[in-house]
This record gives sequence, structure tokens and C-alpha cells, in this order.
Amino acid sequence: VIVRIPTINDDLADFYLLFDMWAQFNHEDSEVELDFSRCGFLRQNAVAFLGGLIRLKESRGGNVTINPATINGTVAQNLAKSGFGAVFGLRNVLNPGHSIPFREDKIADSIGISNYLKEGWLGRGWLHITEPLKNAIVGTVWEVYANAIEHGASNIGIFSCGQHYPRMKSLKLTIVDFGVGVPANVRRFFGDQALPAERTLEWAFRAGTTTKPSGIGRGLGLDILKQFIRVNKGQLEVFSHNAYAFISSTKESYVSHKAFFEGTLVNISLECDENHYCLASELPQGPLF
Amino acid sequence: MVMEIVMVNKISGENAVSQEDGQKLFDLIRPVLGSDQAVELDFTGVKIFASPFFNAAVGQLVKDFKPDSLNRLLKVQNLSPLGQDVLKRVIENAKLYFSSSENYRTTQAEVIAKLTHEN
Repeated sequence: VIVRIPTINDDLADFYLLFDMWAQFNHEDSEVELDFSRCGFLRQNAVAFLGGLIRLKESRGGNVTINPATINGTVAQNLAKSGFGAVFGLRNVLNPGHSIPFREDKIADSIGISNYLKEGWLGRGWLHITEPLKNAIVGTVWEVYANAIEHGASNIGIFSCGQHYPRMKSLKLTIVDFGVGVPANVRRFFGDQALPAERTLEWAFRAGTTTKPSGIGRGLGLDILKQFIRVNKGQLEVFSHNAYAFISSTKESYVSHKAFFEGTLVNISLECDENHYCLASELPQGPLF
Repeated sequence: MVMEIVMVNKISGENAVSQEDGQKLFDLIRPVLGSDQAVELDFTGVKIFASPFFNAAVGQLVKDFKPDSLNRLLKVQNLSPLGQDVLKRVIENAKLYFSSSENYRTTQAEVIAKLTHEN
């Protein structure tokens, strides 16, 4: 079967397109050909998600081919810069430029993931933040990976990709797993299949929550990232099942929407402004005189 | 009292983030603390912290030792303010969790019921 990839931005409707593709991959034949002839460009969310979809199909004994003749110049460049092309057998490879390369992790590789976040994402001079704050954000986002590997129960792992958009002054990173999703874990823990998906997500965001049977209490541990996003006027979005979490400087909401995706997708957008950011603990304490 | 000093970065490098490294540290210090000997964790050279590491290394101790014993036997040196924040959060959560896991489930069931009711 041929799956046509549309142009994919990263507005809410674009995530619905991705989840629609996931549904197609779930139901279609084992042989899939990706056709990019209707695709004008792809954002980091689509690159991470597509990589995961290919691995998902392969893990179920299927095969995915990419038809290079259908790929236009912009998309070809994007796939080459993100490293996606090299991973999935497209020939041209380019310097990453403004891309934070496509990455797949089956295990919680602490050194590799920390370096990716610290050097590849936050350390490229696009954001003015102090070393301690950078370390704090890396530790926080590492927990997203660790949670996905520990709770997601996915045998294909986690997929990430990011992009710096100089004109929009924005720095984005998407992390996605194709596991069982947050609502499934929380519902199983409480033995209550009727819990609304959006409330399970809200619960998981609170500090000190855990679904691990032998577990040691902890939440998603996103507090520092949430605080930074509020100050930086960035945004954090999480999709899992039909739940959608949105956090910005002015809003924190957990709602249900029409699209369904069984795994968990985290999309982080940071503002590349002229401000210099640091941790509150780095500021001078008390009066100077 | 003889104090055993453990350089954490020998186990974790600069990233004290993973459960595996945390477990290695736990396996190292648990028997020492069990024989009522003091341990100092020295975090020199460790820059990045995450709760899976502290959960395994320290959170698990809350199950086996009383807070008074841990305050007496376990010392922490050269831990950045950020690392202290993560460690405090982990200890609070572990105390809550190990007070009784069934209790924890009941309390949390009330929390999620409240969330559902409010919305």
C-alpha cells in the first residue's frame, strides 16, 4: 500500500495528521511505500514520528520503503540535515545546520542522551542560558526518556528530533514513544478503566506520583522544565491516547480531543529571545549592603 | 566513627541520572549502612541530576532504615543546589510511598477522583 505523506507543520491539526498516519500504519498491509509527492515540508515532530512509524512496522514483520523520486528539494534537504535520510537509506547527507538530528534509543543511554540534549539541543548558542540551568533542563528532559523507556513498554524505543527556526526565533524538540501510553498505565494502577485520559495525564504531571508496582514515588518530574517554559514564554505539549496537555506562560490545560494515539508524544518549544536565563539559586541572595 | 567516602562521579560520571547507576551506588552503600557505619557521598564533578538515579540510590534506603538512622549515617558533600532539590524531592516521595503502598494508592485514588470531579 502507498501512504501519502502530507505537508506537516506542528500546529494541533498537524499532530492529528500524524496520528491518522499511525492509524493507517496499524491497519494497512505489511508492505508500505511512503510517497512524499504531496509533502511541501516536514517539521521535527513529523521526522521523529515517521522514524518511529517505520520501526513500528518493521517490528511487526512489515517493510517500509521510501520512494525517493517523490521527495521535493526542501523535504530532501530536511531529511538529509536531520540525519533521517542516512538512517533510512536515502543517499544524500548534509551538515545538520539548524537541525537537532533524528535519534532513536532503545535503552536509557545516559551519556548519549545527555550529550544530545546538552550539546545538540541547548548547546548550539541559540538560547542564552547558564550552565547550571542547562544542566537542570537536561536532567528534567532525561526523565521524559527514562519514563518512556520504563513505563512505555515499547520494544522499538524512543524517537527524537529537533529544529531551530531562526525566523520564528524558536527552538523545538519532539520526543515520541509507541508504547502503551500514560492513560493505560494510570488506569491499570488504579484498576479503573473508566478514568478519563486527560485526568490521568494531569495526575501523572503532579510531583510524587508513580504507577510502578514496586515503585519509588515520583512524578514526570517536569517541574523545572515547566517553570522555565513559563518564564521563557515557550510551550510544552504532551499527547497520549486522546488526551492533550498544554503548558505555556499563561495556561496549563489537560483536555481530551478527537484524535487517538496509543503512545506518548512530547513537543517542547522554546523562545530564542535576547534574555539570559539562569536558575533562581544562581541569583545573588539577600541585600548587598 | 569511621566514615566511608564514596566519590559518586566514579560511578555516574557527570550525569547522575540513570536508575542503573543509582542501583550501583545503592548496592555499594547499603551493606555499609547496614553495619551501622557512616557513608559520605561526595558529588564533586557531577553536574546533571535526575530522579531515577536518586530513587534507586537513596529512595530505596527509606524502605530499610529509619529517617533518624539515615540522618546520622548518610552525609552528602559538594552537591549543587539543583542536585539538592532533586534529592529532597526524591526523599519526600519515597517517604510518602513507603509509608504504605496501599495507603499511597488510596490517597492517590482520592487525588484523581478530585481531579475528575473538578473538571
